[in-house]
Formats: sequence, structure tokens, C-alpha cells
Amino acid sequence: MTQPTHLYTLCRISHYYGSKKVLDIDEFSIPAGTILGLSGPNGSGKTTLLKLLAFAIAPSHGEIRFNGRREYPMSARVRSKVTLMTQTPYLLKRSVLDNVVYGLKIRKDTKKLKQRAGRALAAVGLDFDTFHNRAWHQLSGGEAQRVALAARLILEPRALLLDEPVASVDAESALLIRQASLAARDKWGCTLIIVSHDLAWLNAVSDTRVSMEKGRIFSTHKEIVLPPPYQTIQTDSTANWVLPISSGRHISLPDKTGETALISADKIKIIQTSENQSDERNRIPVLVTSMALEPKTGDIEVDFDADTFRLTLLLSKEQAGALNMQPGKKSTLVFRTQDIFWR
Amino acid sequence: MLIHRFILLKEKKMKSRQCLSVLVAVLMVLFCAITVQAGGKGELMMATTTSTDNTGLLDYLIPFFEQDTGIALKWTATGTGKALKLGQNCDVDVLLVHAPPAEKTYIANDFGKDRREIMYNDFVIIGPKSDPAGIKGKDISQALSTIKANKAFFMSRGDDSGTNKKEKLLWKNAGIALPDKEGWYVQTGQGMLATINVTQEKNGYTMTDRGTYIKYQDQQGGDAPLTVLVEGDDILLNQYSVLTLNPKNCPDAKYDLALKFSDWMASDAAQSKIAEFRLLGKKLFIPNAK
Amino acid sequence: MAFLIEGFLRAMELLLSGDTSTWSAVSATVKASTGSMLVSLLTGLPCGFILGYFDFRFKRPIRTLLDTLLALPTVCVGLIVYAFISSKGPLGDMNLLFTLTGIAVGQTILAFPVVTAITASIIENIDPALKLTLVSLGAGKKNIILTCLWEVRFGILAAAVTAYGRILTEVGISMIVGGNIKYHTRTMTTAIALETNKGMFADGIALGIVLMAIAFAVNLSLSFLRKR
Repeated sequence: MTQPTHLYTLCRISHYYGSKKVLDIDEFSIPAGTILGLSGPNGSGKTTLLKLLAFAIAPSHGEIRFNGRREYPMSARVRSKVTLMTQTPYLLKRSVLDNVVYGLKIRKDTKKLKQRAGRALAAVGLDFDTFHNRAWHQLSGGEAQRVALAARLILEPRALLLDEPVASVDAESALLIRQASLAARDKWGCTLIIVSHDLAWLNAVSDTRVSMEKGRIFSTHKEIVLPPPYQTIQTDSTANWVLPISSGRHISLPDKTGETALISADKIKIIQTSENQSDERNRIPVLVTSMALEPKTGDIEVDFDADTFRLTLLLSKEQAGALNMQPGKKSTLVFRTQDIFWR
Repeated sequence: MLIHRFILLKEKKMKSRQCLSVLVAVLMVLFCAITVQAGGKGELMMATTTSTDNTGLLDYLIPFFEQDTGIALKWTATGTGKALKLGQNCDVDVLLVHAPPAEKTYIANDFGKDRREIMYNDFVIIGPKSDPAGIKGKDISQALSTIKANKAFFMSRGDDSGTNKKEKLLWKNAGIALPDKEGWYVQTGQGMLATINVTQEKNGYTMTDRGTYIKYQDQQGGDAPLTVLVEGDDILLNQYSVLTLNPKNCPDAKYDLALKFSDWMASDAAQSKIAEFRLLGKKLFIPNAK
Repeated sequence: MAFLIEGFLRAMELLLSGDTSTWSAVSATVKASTGSMLVSLLTGLPCGFILGYFDFRFKRPIRTLLDTLLALPTVCVGLIVYAFISSKGPLGDMNLLFTLTGIAVGQTILAFPVVTAITASIIENIDPALKLTLVSLGAGKKNIILTCLWEVRFGILAAAVTAYGRILTEVGISMIVGGNIKYHTRTMTTAIALETNKGMFADGIALGIVLMAIAFAVNLSLSFLRKR
């Protein structure tokens, strides 16, 4: 039987907390051995998605396939193949050594425990002799998070899910955690799914980048979200949907067929403010707030502030140069209403 | 092994409630392991009153019984009411109480079988040496009337014990309605010694059996604030008897052993031992078995 | 007032002289309380765990009932047990009346709600990150339960100590079910009640001090579990 290339496949997932819908994913796949970077505002459903991928909870509706097979929480096939690391480090109330070897012990894989623990701790930059006997409460936040990572790496999982892995740690620990995570992918083809607010690092390290907004997944850089709230304006006998932006202007939207308005990034044109166009396209004045290098492709990430919302576009070096892009520069984004779609 | 059983127990509990019976079984096993099962042969269970027990007579006397007969006697001391109830419920094998009217009714009701008078002492009224109400030397009915007239503090056990029953009889005999709700009539609901202590605290009067009074004096080192003020009336007689239980009501009660106990208490050996039991050189009980 | 000091001196006297009635009361207390403690833990811990961990239809009313049972007066428990084990009661054939076993049964009934209610609270308040961590490390249902219980061991210790306090100090059950029979079912607490009732206050205090010494010894030996 050929090994499926997708480690995860999500089908028609919708998840509710009570009556509130927190996840709405029609179809999404994660190839094995890749690094997926997941970003988005708080409350967008990132942590919930990670919990589903970790098989800690089951989705309200829909199915998740792991290695081609539909799996459920507590499934024996999935146990210790997928591990999740929480944002704040959580260790069991026992010594560092016992924490690191816990997963191995319960799957009765107890040969050469101390040696393997030593290697796992070394991978996160902790000296075995100094640390293995420390109690859980005798570690700094960064050290604790490193121990948590070691406890998971020692299991050589197929998928490592990291929820803001370096958010609560010191700089040195952050570096070591990042290195160890990437080494896992190199060593045994571990699939990494990383949630982080550090977009620069996320962009640098991910093979694929997605953003989440209100429980939906969007391809970062490819699909631009025009976020709510939306309004309707009465003109003659019809009601049209619009997204208001400052100074009385608004973006005309097509008829509402979904929750969120989106536009493909390549349908947006950037023009200099001085250019005058008199056609029917939407034009929004924007201000460039920051620019950053996307190391993988060499492209430039440009953040724009459109007064009521923000967006980020990826420009090639040439484009950025031709447009004379720099932080603080005023510009105009132009796009047609019919290129906007709903989801 | 124990941990294995522990885990097994938990998993079962999660599946169904039938494990409750398993738990009960484990309970029984554990309990049996910890305590030795009692109830062997040659063992007698007696219910007696606190007055009898508190004097220390039984601690002194019973070892001789066990020596002479080889029967082990355990006793629990409660109020007369409860002692009779224990006999009725067949929780004990024999009774040693001092409430003759109640005992006779008991036998009439087929709860008790044989009644054997063993020993007696008398009841007395004690009070402060200064005797504020002035009852010294009066007969019992006069004394009680005087106490009522002076509204002097009178402590009653108020617990339907043999002593308490006697006290109520005395009021009735004096033609006085039981001063149940009066402020000066204090119902302690406790044993005799405890009630005497309350009496001492409040400088009041109370009715007690002489045996307990002597014990109280002994506790006070021989010089007690309360002293005997009224004594000697015939009605103040306090008769102790052994009651066996009716096998018809309690077929499992050890009737033959109870009879042996009754016989022994009436025997010369026991009777002389009872007479020898003294505190402060005074006799607490006078043997009168026939 | 003097009897307090007298009591303290008398306590020394009773302990050091090896007074048989005192030591037999100590032994009776230790036997009964150990038995009831063990059984109430063995039954209360799993029940508390289930109550705290799972969600089911009658969870709330059961919790409320349990919390109410925490206030059961010991005399009432004694009476209820007596009704069952009395010769004329349904369990009369078990010959539990006037035995230490009978006392232990009553004390278990007393302690069970304490252990269960406190354990349920502890389990309910477990950090959700714990279960997430255990699932991440590959734990199955059995391991999750056992590890969860071990992780909250300090809280459970508190439950045990609380239950033990209730057991050690109760008089009602020992008196009614045990009968306060010297050398057999006279426990520390019934002995104290007896001496106090006889007006022997100093002896009452003395035995009270001895009882506290037992409690102290037990807590001391458990302190090694309190590593933090």
C-alpha cells in the first residue's frame, strides 16, 4: 500500500463551543514532513484547531484523517505519534527525568531510558547531570518549556504541534526550542505545525503559511481578507453591501454569499496616489507601516494600514523598488468589485 | 497485588454499579482482617446503668466472676431506658438495672424472664452544707415541698434512667406535679456524677444513690461541698436486680450463661465481695439476694 | 482552670506508666480509625474521581447530597448503623454491634462523603493543560486516570487528613455502636466522654492530650508526602 503523502486531511470540519461556531473548515490537508505556519488574531480558532489535530478533542462535525485513515481521540494508532506542546509550559509534578521519560514508560519502551533522556535534553540545550534530578518547580519558564519539548521529542512523533512555543520563554530558550523543533523535521521527517505571533520567524521557517480568521483558514499572502463589519446601503430600490473605510468612503462588495469577503492578492493593484483613474474600481488610500524580508523567497512583505483594517501583501524586490515602497509612504490599492468573493 | 486490585476496582466502578457488591465484599474482608471476630462461646454481653458502672463495682467484681465460671463478661453502661431497649432488641444477653417497676413490666411484657434481686443501697437528697432551703432532717415529701416553695435549684437527671424514674416517683408521692418547666428545676440529661457536678456548680440540691455519692466524695478527696441532707425513708430504697431475657423474644441470647451470671451474683462468694467493696471506708452496696 | 494543668501532668503519667486502660483505648482508636480510613479512601477516591471527571445526568443533585452528608452528626450516623446491625436489624447476623469493626463501619460512613466530595472538587479543578499534556504524551484512559490522581496527590492528602480528623474525634458512633466497653470498644473519645461525665476533668484532658499526640504522630509521618 502506498504511503499517502498527506499526513492530515480535514473534511467538512465544523466545531462548536455550546452554540458558538469556532471552526469552519471545508477541506484542508497537511503534507507529511512539511512545516505549516499558522497565524491569526486571538480567538480565531488556532488553539482549537491544534487540539483537533492532536486528537485531544473530537470535532462536532466532520472527519479528520491521519495517514489516510479516519481517526478519533484516544485512538491507539495516533497515541504518541502526535504530540502537542502548550503555550505555557506544563510539567508533571515530578523530576525532570521522570517528565522526559513519561511517554516512553507508558508505551512500555523502557530500554536505555537515561541515555535517551540525556540525548533529548541535550537537543534542547539542557545538561543531563545538572537537570535530570531537578523538581518541576525548580525550573525557569524557559527551562520548563525545553523540558516539555524534550519529553515530546523523545517519542519521535510523526507530528509535533507547537502552540506559541516561544511566547513565554527567554531568548536563549526560544532559540534552542526553535532549533530542536526544526532538527526533528530533519532527523525523522517530523511534520511541524506551528502557531506563532512572531510572523517573521514563522514566514522564515514555514513551507506553507495559513492564517485563521473566525474559525476559517485562509492562505496567507494569497488570499486577502476584507474583514467585517459590513453594512448595507440603500440606493434606489436595491440594497448593496459595502465595507466602510474612513472619510466617508467604502468598498463596494458583491452580493453576500458567505461570512467573510476575500480577494485574491494578485487581483490587487498598487498605484501611486497621484495617479488618477476614473473607472468604477474600488480605491482605498493606504499607508505603508512596515516592510520585512521574507527570507525563503526573497520577497518583501509590506504591511498596509487602511484605517479601518490592515492587510499584508507580498511584493517581489523589483515591484517594491519600482513603486518606491518604504514605510510611511502613502499609496492607493485598486481592485474591482467583481474580483471580490465571499466565503 | 493490592495495587492490582485497586486498579481493577476502579475500572469496574466506571462500567456499572454492580461493583457495589464487590466493594461491600472487600469491605468485609478488610474489616475481618483488621479486627478479630468476637462472639465466641463462653462470652456474655450485659447492659447495665451508668450508676452501677461509675461506682467501679463491676471493675472490681466481674474479674472474680470470670475466674470462677470461665465466662467472659463484657458490659456496656447506658441509661436504664436504653439498657432495657438493648435487651428488648436482643443486642445483649443479660441486664443489671435498678428500676423495679419497669423491670416488672418488662417481665409482664415477655421481654424479661427471671428477675433476681442482688443488692441495694438507698437514695439520698444532697445539697450544700449551708442548706439554704432548710430541708435537713425532713422526710422526703416535706423536703421536696420545701425545695419547691423556696424555688431552690434542684438538679434532675431528666434521662428516664432508673434514678430518674425514682425521682419522678418521689415528686408524685409528695403530691407535687413534676416541675418540668420550672426555672429552678434543672434537667441535665446526663449521668449521676455529671449531674452531681452540675449541682455543686450551682449550689443546688439533687437526688442521688448513695453509692455514687460516696464515689463523688472520694473524687473530691473526702471533703465534698455537697452533703447528705435527707435520707432513710422507705421509699428511698434503691434495689438492683439481674434480669435475664426471655428466650421467646430473644432465642439467640445466651440464656443459660445469663442464668449462671444471675446465680453467681446471688452466691455467697459474690455477695460477700459486694459487701467488701468500699470507698472511703464506706459500703456502697448492701447485698440482699435471697 | 486547675484541671487543665492537672490534665497535662496526668497525660504524662498515663502515657509513661503504661496504664493499661489508656493504652487499650489508644489501641482501639488506632485499630478502628485505621480500618475506616483505609476503606473510606479505597471507596471514596474512585467515587470522587468519577464524580469530578465525568459529566452525567444526576451529577449536580448527587454533589449537593454529598455536600449535605458532610454535616451528618456523628450520633445520627451511630443510630443509623445501630438500627442496621442491632440483633433485630437486617444485618444483625453479622454480629457487629459492640465491636470495633462495627465502629469502623460507622466511621467509614462518616468519612466517605468527606473523601468523595473533596476529591471531586480537586478533580474538577485540575488544570486542563494536564489532560492535554497526558494525551500528547500518549496516555490512554487508564494512565490518564492514574496519573491525574498522582498529580493531585497533595490535594488528596488534604482530603485524607480532613477525613481522619473527623474519624478520630467522633464520639457518637463509637458510643452507640461500640458501647464503650472497657478494654474492648472503649476508644479515646468515649473514654474522654466517660471521664468527663464522671467529673474527672483532669483525666478527660489527659486523654485528650494523648489523642492529639496520636493525631500529631500520624500527620508527622504523612509530612514527607508534602514535598510541596
